[in-house]
Amino acid sequence: MATTTQTTVPPDLGKTMQRDMLAKYYGALETANADGVPVAYLFIPGNIVELTQCFGFLPVYPEINALQCGIKKVAGENIIRAEDLGYSADVCGYVKNDIGLMLKDRQSPFGRLPTPDLLVCNYSGCNTFIKWFEALAHFYGSEFFLLDIPYIRESEISPGDVAYVVAQLKELIARCEARTGVTFSEARLREILGYSREAEDLWVEILHLARERPSPFDSYFEAVFYMAPVNMLRGTPESVEYYRQVLREMRARTDERRGPVPEEKFRVVIEGPPAWPHFRAFWELFKRWGAVAVASTYSKVGGLYDQGVRHDPSRPLESIAEYAMNGYTNWNLAKRADLLRRYVEEYEADALVIHSVKSCRSFSVGQADFRESFVNELGIPTLMIESDLADPRYFQEAQLRNRIDAFFESLTQRRLTGATA
Amino acid sequence: MIVAGVDVGSTTSKAVVLDDRRQIAGTSLLPTGANVVRAAERAFREALAASKRDESEAAYVIGTGYGRYKVAFGDDQVTEIGCHARGAQFLFPDTRTIVDIGGQDTKAIRISDRGEVLDFSMNDKCAAGTGRFLDACANVIGMTLDEIGPASMNAQKPIRITNVCTVFVESEIIAHLARGEKVEDILRGVHLAIGSRTAGLVRRVGTNPAVTFTGGVSRNVGMVQALEERLGVSVHVSPLSQWMGALGAALIALERVEGGAVHRIAAGGAA
Repeated sequence: MATTTQTTVPPDLGKTMQRDMLAKYYGALETANADGVPVAYLFIPGNIVELTQCFGFLPVYPEINALQCGIKKVAGENIIRAEDLGYSADVCGYVKNDIGLMLKDRQSPFGRLPTPDLLVCNYSGCNTFIKWFEALAHFYGSEFFLLDIPYIRESEISPGDVAYVVAQLKELIARCEARTGVTFSEARLREILGYSREAEDLWVEILHLARERPSPFDSYFEAVFYMAPVNMLRGTPESVEYYRQVLREMRARTDERRGPVPEEKFRVVIEGPPAWPHFRAFWELFKRWGAVAVASTYSKVGGLYDQGVRHDPSRPLESIAEYAMNGYTNWNLAKRADLLRRYVEEYEADALVIHSVKSCRSFSVGQADFRESFVNELGIPTLMIESDLADPRYFQEAQLRNRIDAFFESLTQRRLTGATA
Repeated sequence: MIVAGVDVGSTTSKAVVLDDRRQIAGTSLLPTGANVVRAAERAFREALAASKRDESEAAYVIGTGYGRYKVAFGDDQVTEIGCHARGAQFLFPDTRTIVDIGGQDTKAIRISDRGEVLDFSMNDKCAAGTGRFLDACANVIGMTLDEIGPASMNAQKPIRITNVCTVFVESEIIAHLARGEKVEDILRGVHLAIGSRTAGLVRRVGTNPAVTFTGGVSRNVGMVQALEERLGVSVHVSPLSQWMGALGAALIALERVEGGAVHRIAAGGAA
């Protein structure tokens, strides 16, 4: 690894590779039904893709499809299609995007999506997940498996909770065997988990590089691309190689003291999902102030790897269970607030930015309290802004710009005078 | 030498011309209308005319308000949050909290003893509790904006207005009128509803006295009274409160000149 930065790294290697990996993945999805490849729909937070992979299932992540539709600017029309069917304005934009896609014969800008053979509702802190997959099970007539993931109410996970999830995983294994005719192989699962673990180790190493000044990458606006393989395509040699290459790119950027903005003026921690339908415009509002996210919680929705969470081939089902419980939104509010505070300290951030999205209650609950305690108790400047992760109608650029400009103006002024909150 | 602040708001555009002794030499106020660029230019020229000073004397111009990026002749832009803070602290040096109610925005701003913005909070993406809310209520009752505040102060039994929606409040008022409720009681209810909503916003940043009330709605005496009642403290209001953003912008412009900033572009795109 010592020589990796000596060879030239193509610009945006990580993003290019990610795009190619996703193109290949969506290509495989397009022919899955016709090729007879079983398809399992999963949710991202704490997903159990290693397990379904043992049975040859291709994973489909409706949340990822929704954010891709957001970026490709078609989420708005999908959402309206779902509303025409009767879904209310208050229902999550990701759900409505998915229903809208289904109503359009699953035709997306990244290819036609396959129907599910199995819906694994790895319910994790979000009640909407259950209703979402119940609706899909109804529409598709597919098999539905509810994997009940206990919410982390205490500071630690209890052994009872792990045993509870492991018991359900065993039940799921039996269901997968019956559906695919493939006999479960623990050796195969251990092999897959080994790849997951390796990718996770590398990803954490990358995330920690944001402690550098300047940070070599934006831990929100760029990390959301880099995190895709570790959230979706774990357990493959390709995902391990991907993170080797991204680490190489980030080390090269660190060596060259190159970051995502020409001059890093503000280091911020960002809480909440991005405004996917206006991603570039949203990022620009921060870039123009030289503001760089050095840590974010959204990049931990899949799993809190940087907090020591790992898949472990020596404890296959137990580590899958622990991982499933350690998605960011499955943590209680006190743990979330403590994580945010530690991010501000460890990454030497100037401020916290909370992007509250209308769709996602798992995220937005408690955010007003975070704001209040950060400003009034911890004295950490905190900005709270609102829009949505899927519905383009909730993004009011002038109002967002006003808040963001005023916030960085005040940080600039306070830096000059040394005033504290 | 003079400087200017041009505040292009959603409803009105305001400008203030300051001389180098921090004296206000001229002001202007006009509806923003559809052509934001022209409104900014007109506001600046009218304030210049009122000050009887020539544009060539203008050393620095700062644009503020929603249309700040349309102040094409300006040297820089500063948000109205920063400008209201600067203006309020200049007029009332003991100000620690600013409540600004404008045409479509309500803001609560906490500032330091030196006028630095420490925290702020704004209404969500809806005009409830803003000037537009009052506008809608005045329209449905058939009074002008200037009349509703004093009228509300004659209330005997304020009606509780439950609607927070600027559109639906109209039908609520019509229902109260149909029931024969008195106009002044309804109006008092409207003002108290905005006062409550605003007080909630202020509590997010802390109600630290002294509180200064700025923005167009602060001209409404009924609103001043309702806000004081809901906040439980008296508030400063200046006759210049509608120009607070423009005044703050002009003060920041003057500080920039004193700090060595140089004027770059002449007004009206002449440069």
